[in-house]
Amino acid sequence: MDPRLETLRTQAPGLVDDADSLEALDAVEQQVVGRASPIAEIRRGLGQLPAEERPIVGRAVKEVADEIAVLVDRRRSVLEDEAETALLAADAVDLTVPMDERATGTHHLITSTIDEIVDIFVGLGYRVADGPEVETGWYNFDALNTPADHPARAESDTLYVDFGEPEDEMLLRTQTSPMQARYMQDHDPPVHVVVPGRVFRNETLDATHSPVFHQVEGLAVDTDITFGDLKGTLEHFAREFFGPSTGTRFRPHFFPFTEPSAEVDVTCFGCDGSGCKVCGGPGWVEVLGCGMVDPAVFDAVGYDSAGVTGFAFGMGVERMAMARHGLTHIRHLWENDLRVLGQFR
Amino acid sequence: MKVSLRWLADYVDLPTSDPDEIARALDDLGHEVEGIERLAPSFEGVLVGRVETVEAHPDADKVRLTTVDTGDGPTDVVCGAWNFEAGAIVPVARPGAVLMDGSFPITERAIRGVTSNGMICSAKELGLGEDADGIMVLDDGFEVGTDFADHLEMPDAVIDLSITPNRPDAMSMIGIARELAAHFGIDWRMPDTSPMPGDGTSALTIEIDDDRCPRFTGREVRGVEMGPSPLWMQLRLERAGVRAISNVVDVSNYVMLELGQPTHAFDFDRVAGARIVVRSGHEGEKLTTLDGVERLLGPEDIVVADDEHGSSLGGTMGGEDSEVSTSTTNVLVEVASWDPPTILRQSRRHALRSEASARYERGVDVAMPIPANHRMVRLLAETAGGAPVGELVVTETVPFVPATIRLPLSLVERTLGVALPAEEIIDHLTPLGVEATATDDEVVAVQPSWRPDLTRPIDLVEEVARLRGYATFESSTPSGAGGGLSTEQVRERRLRAALTGLGLSEAKTFSFHGHGALDALGLDADDPRQSAIEVRNPLREEESLLRTTLLPGLLDAARFNVAHGVGDVALFEIGRVFLDEEAPEFGTVPEQPAVLGFVLVGASGSSGVGSNRRPVDAFSGVGLVRALAASIGMGAVGVESIDQRPLHPGRGARVLRDDGLEFGVVGELHPKAARAWGLPGRVVVGELTVAPMLQDPGMWLFVEPSLQPHADFDLAFVLPDSVSAAAVVEAIAAVDGATESVVPFDLYRGPGVRDGQHSLAVRIRLRAADRTLTSDEVAEMRDRCIESVRQLGGTLRGAE
Ligand SMILES: [Zn+2]
Repeated sequence: MDPRLETLRTQAPGLVDDADSLEALDAVEQQVVGRASPIAEIRRGLGQLPAEERPIVGRAVKEVADEIAVLVDRRRSVLEDEAETALLAADAVDLTVPMDERATGTHHLITSTIDEIVDIFVGLGYRVADGPEVETGWYNFDALNTPADHPARAESDTLYVDFGEPEDEMLLRTQTSPMQARYMQDHDPPVHVVVPGRVFRNETLDATHSPVFHQVEGLAVDTDITFGDLKGTLEHFAREFFGPSTGTRFRPHFFPFTEPSAEVDVTCFGCDGSGCKVCGGPGWVEVLGCGMVDPAVFDAVGYDSAGVTGFAFGMGVERMAMARHGLTHIRHLWENDLRVLGQFR
Repeated sequence: MKVSLRWLADYVDLPTSDPDEIARALDDLGHEVEGIERLAPSFEGVLVGRVETVEAHPDADKVRLTTVDTGDGPTDVVCGAWNFEAGAIVPVARPGAVLMDGSFPITERAIRGVTSNGMICSAKELGLGEDADGIMVLDDGFEVGTDFADHLEMPDAVIDLSITPNRPDAMSMIGIARELAAHFGIDWRMPDTSPMPGDGTSALTIEIDDDRCPRFTGREVRGVEMGPSPLWMQLRLERAGVRAISNVVDVSNYVMLELGQPTHAFDFDRVAGARIVVRSGHEGEKLTTLDGVERLLGPEDIVVADDEHGSSLGGTMGGEDSEVSTSTTNVLVEVASWDPPTILRQSRRHALRSEASARYERGVDVAMPIPANHRMVRLLAETAGGAPVGELVVTETVPFVPATIRLPLSLVERTLGVALPAEEIIDHLTPLGVEATATDDEVVAVQPSWRPDLTRPIDLVEEVARLRGYATFESSTPSGAGGGLSTEQVRERRLRAALTGLGLSEAKTFSFHGHGALDALGLDADDPRQSAIEVRNPLREEESLLRTTLLPGLLDAARFNVAHGVGDVALFEIGRVFLDEEAPEFGTVPEQPAVLGFVLVGASGSSGVGSNRRPVDAFSGVGLVRALAASIGMGAVGVESIDQRPLHPGRGARVLRDDGLEFGVVGELHPKAARAWGLPGRVVVGELTVAPMLQDPGMWLFVEPSLQPHADFDLAFVLPDSVSAAAVVEAIAAVDGATESVVPFDLYRGPGVRDGQHSLAVRIRLRAADRTLTSDEVAEMRDRCIESVRQLGGTLRGAE
């Protein structure tokens, strides 16, 4: 082998490795394989060599040139990486600085609570209906077996509005229950429906009362609905909504449009029954009212009370949401203070 | 209803004395327990004693030496009090007794050489008051040797019950006794209601001229000595929440609490003509009730009168004129039945609710007036020394006819889910006083006179369930009919999710506003939102109208937040508004569509250090509506300028669905309205009718995206200000060709463009579905686009 090649082969790796920048590497490349390099010289002298030597020398030159090219490429990629790393290091930022922050809003606690309640019943095969907030006395009271002189119909309890004829008795519904009658008039049994919505009472705002609040009404009517079905359904609801270990107690009560009627207490979710702010001591929290649909209601809406049975229930949305999340005053649900709304999840 | 368990023990011997257990039973019966108050004396072993002798102490002048008999003969007691003499009845703590909650045990003790076997107690030492100056001196009614705590009706527990309006029978001690007896399967007993024989004959006559009074009983009691009632009665009344007044009044209240039957005591000497007439009120008649208020009566009222004038408002409140007083000696005991709706209306009309009216309006046992009258006479004799005269005078106009109820066994099974044998049903009903017999497939039951709520078969089903216990019915889960949310409900949730994703928070505002809010919005006179439905009985001006727009509530919320230092406000609400449109047919409710309202104040966009937050303006509102529409797949939203309050005259628009249906307005709030709410900067508001947004848009079909290359070119036009960007885009889009999109990207007004004109630059992207467009085709499209805009009055910028 040409001693110049031999020398080059020995020296090149050191030269390449010593190049500490891409520019230095370019210079080394020029030096070892460039126009003035021994390799170029030997290539230029190939023509003067005897024909039988040419391929041998040619191969040797190529071999050395290829070797050096690999070395240079390898070194170049190392240097390029180093250069980019340095660039990226200079590009580093403090990501704790807020810069491109996207604000999202929140659903109101009343809405999310309603959605949660409704979804539990949708899972049980219920549909969801919506009814008018300005309602007639007939739907709000008469159809629900509430006589004309019932105290709840007094102006001290119910807000009346001027609409239509004076004898129309237009009012702001005091409960979501009138939708029971409307829904049954529009649908033949079987009926499984929940009705969330706004209701109204002639009350001033205090810590736990508001002239406007929300209820979710439920109604199931079929040929074979029993009191046991009512219990089972609401026990399932209580476990889904308040937690799997929630216990339930049904106490006899009175509502004009159900019989038998019950109030439902659940085991306190704020304590283990030892007493706390949520339950006020006894370890039970009253959460809803319910009962078997009174036959008079079936008669009022044109259902055959001898052929069907059903149950109905109603619950206060604010009451449940406030108890669960520890809200101290109902005004927090109506002031729309973004510092409060932002807490809703 | 407050129930003293000690008092209750007069009527029933419960199997437990644990107040918690009794409370649980009452809860299970449907009489909700609101609280339990436990009462215990602070002492133990204190007896009633009589002071036999009182002598000076041989070696001390501050104390005296007494002998006291507490039932086992006189014993020496040294006492430092001077407010009694021999013969006094006193509370005595003998050795073994403990005072002050266990902290003060009494032992034999030598005081200056004399052994004292206990002490005579002051009220303070017994925890009964602050009086420590002397010992308690009791009256002669206290039997020597008895446990002093018993006289104080202690220990005791008072259970506070919330009685449902259908159960007037449970507003009495005997009613609660009957319920608990039925629950525990034991007997209960009535107090002594047997008649007391009377001396001589009474001049009393009773006449009923109005059958809203079905029966009226009266008895004359002479020789009553007005004074305080005995301690036990006062304590029982106090625990029931009734103030003790005098023996006659207390007896009347006691009988009402005991039997649930209101009674009344007249001063008989003030009953003119010894004659009672029950009649309707006369038009213009006046009667001053016991509370000192003069009432103007009319024929709708029912009055108890004597020969001359009205003496009480039937079933509601006595009159001042006939009231018993300290000088009363002869009493007329009145016990009557009244028509419940009459009493309800009367007490409401006169805004006068009494313990009596509260019971009568729900329905008092119609068989109770006679026994209650006897009971009251007995107690008057016992506590006020009166003696009845003649016999009880009873006048009845409407006899009570109990309902006979046929309860099919199948109804019990269908409702409760359990087939109960007739015998079990009867076993549950009988202790309640329901007389029931079985036939093949029915139980035939007779309504008790004290249960106005039991008239129908289903009423009995409830009683069976209640007495059997709600907990005994096994839970089951009915098979649903297949449910789910409707398309509209799903779309509403997506709409809300889009709104929160876009940075708006959901607000809830009241469904009311006042006239002031509509004025502040500055709505046009013919704006339909001006005519709101009025609330007939609002509590406040701000709640006097049903809302026709969500904006006042949202603007109030924005103001609240700005005032609390939240400068960037983005709120929305979905809720109903109420339109006072032409009154539809009878019994039809007004239109009450759901509306989406929103308000933006401050800036929008991403925030942070050096961020480029943009103050909100009308464009923010339009952009928001477009994003919402896109989020629920509504398609392109059309925007048309409008000049409509409460919007800024030049910065408001109506928005249109792609089929041209208008579904709302959006824009900047008129500065006057913004000032009215004290809101800074430009305030953006929008109100969209929700129904057109939620409507099912129908099935959508896939469009294959083109894989061919696109060609983009920009055109800048100079346009008169009357030509909208939308018109330009539409004109270009209308050119027949491979136009994929037309997007305005620059707007310029200023030097180089004349007043009344502006320059609008648009980027046009062409792409064919099946091939690469040639440069000739692109050039031709460009020319046609320019020509199309020229038709609108636009010229290519630089080529004018
Ligand atoms: Zn608790």
